[in-house]
Amino acid sequence: MTSFQVRHGLAFLTVLLSLSAPSIGQNHSQSQSPVPGSAIHVTQILGFENAKHNATGELTIQGGIMRFQHDGSTVAQVSIGSIQDIFVEEGDKQVGGTAMTLGKAAAPYGGGRVVSLFAHKKYDFLTVEYLDNRGGFHGAIFQLEKGQGETFKKALVANGAHITPPVEQTPNQSTPEVKNENK
Amino acid sequence: MKTNKNTSPAATKTTPGLSGFHRPNMHCGQFAAVILLIGVLQLQVFVPTVLAESSIDGKSGGNRPWSVQVDRVEPGGVVLGPSFGTAIYENLLEDLAKTEQFKQVFRSGDRNANDVPGLLILKTTVQKYTPGSETRRAVTTVGGATKLNVRVRLVTREGQVVQEHVIDGNVRFIGGNLRATHNLAHNVASTLKKSPLPEQTAAHPEKETGNRAK
Repeated sequence: MTSFQVRHGLAFLTVLLSLSAPSIGQNHSQSQSPVPGSAIHVTQILGFENAKHNATGELTIQGGIMRFQHDGSTVAQVSIGSIQDIFVEEGDKQVGGTAMTLGKAAAPYGGGRVVSLFAHKKYDFLTVEYLDNRGGFHGAIFQLEKGQGETFKKALVANGAHITPPVEQTPNQSTPEVKNENK
Repeated sequence: MKTNKNTSPAATKTTPGLSGFHRPNMHCGQFAAVILLIGVLQLQVFVPTVLAESSIDGKSGGNRPWSVQVDRVEPGGVVLGPSFGTAIYENLLEDLAKTEQFKQVFRSGDRNANDVPGLLILKTTVQKYTPGSETRRAVTTVGGATKLNVRVRLVTREGQVVQEHVIDGNVRFIGGNLRATHNLAHNVASTLKKSPLPEQTAAHPEKETGNRAK
């Protein structure tokens, strides 16, 4: 291994680490909880009618309606009264998207793996189950900053959303590998 | 002598030229390796999807006599996160609509499905679920896979099972854990499209005229 290669490898790792720096150290920090009624920044992962997968935007509660807005315009909305159930789960995701993933894969000497070890962040995942006006069942999943999920759920319940009490489930064949990393 | 004069400058130019090229080539080699790796990763992500799509092209029936209603996912005794059940359900609806195998795709509970002739109900039961970790996948490459195994049944309104399959959906390398639900739904849609549906006359002889008319 030449000094030239080592220098380039270190430079590559430095770039990757600097890219992931904003995420490092946020793993255990609780973000500010949203004020009920105000907009919170979310990523709509899937399921909300008319909204694209992984679209980022603002989620608001106003006048008995939960509204998802992207670039200031309403993309989708649902009456809170039609919500059947709400779940909040905590999950862990790698940050940086596809560019970061490719960069990590291209990093020499397994440097990408070291970066992956730190370049992850915890989120809340909010699942909202609701019925449309024909009775059709929908499920929408949103990714929120950690700590915002429960607050938003409480705000929805306060505005008339239904929730069912949690039922104890007995594990059958699932083999949990890692706790608290379901996303 | 003339030839010597002509050739020697060329030779002297060639020698430093080669050594000059050597170092940039080393840079180019690393750059090329990165490009090649990116290309391979893209192939790994996109080619299976393209192959799966191309393999099911042209096998669907032209008149599409059946409609389908997708039922909610039953956990089947497996501890499954609510987001996973929802993601499987939503991805199934999306992928089944994409295949154009069915005339209409209805959501669970949709009242419009009540009067539709030739309706099949897709029931999905999770048999096995192994929660993985995106971080563990990224660090170890070989560990942390998220695995789903489901039993899907297409049944008529009367409860007659038309098709039954056991299908896997996993994410082993790139992507979040919910990508397993996307892969699973894609596999379910592909499998259903490859399997021929029965003639409606066999299942609903009384509705033959109405269905054929549509």
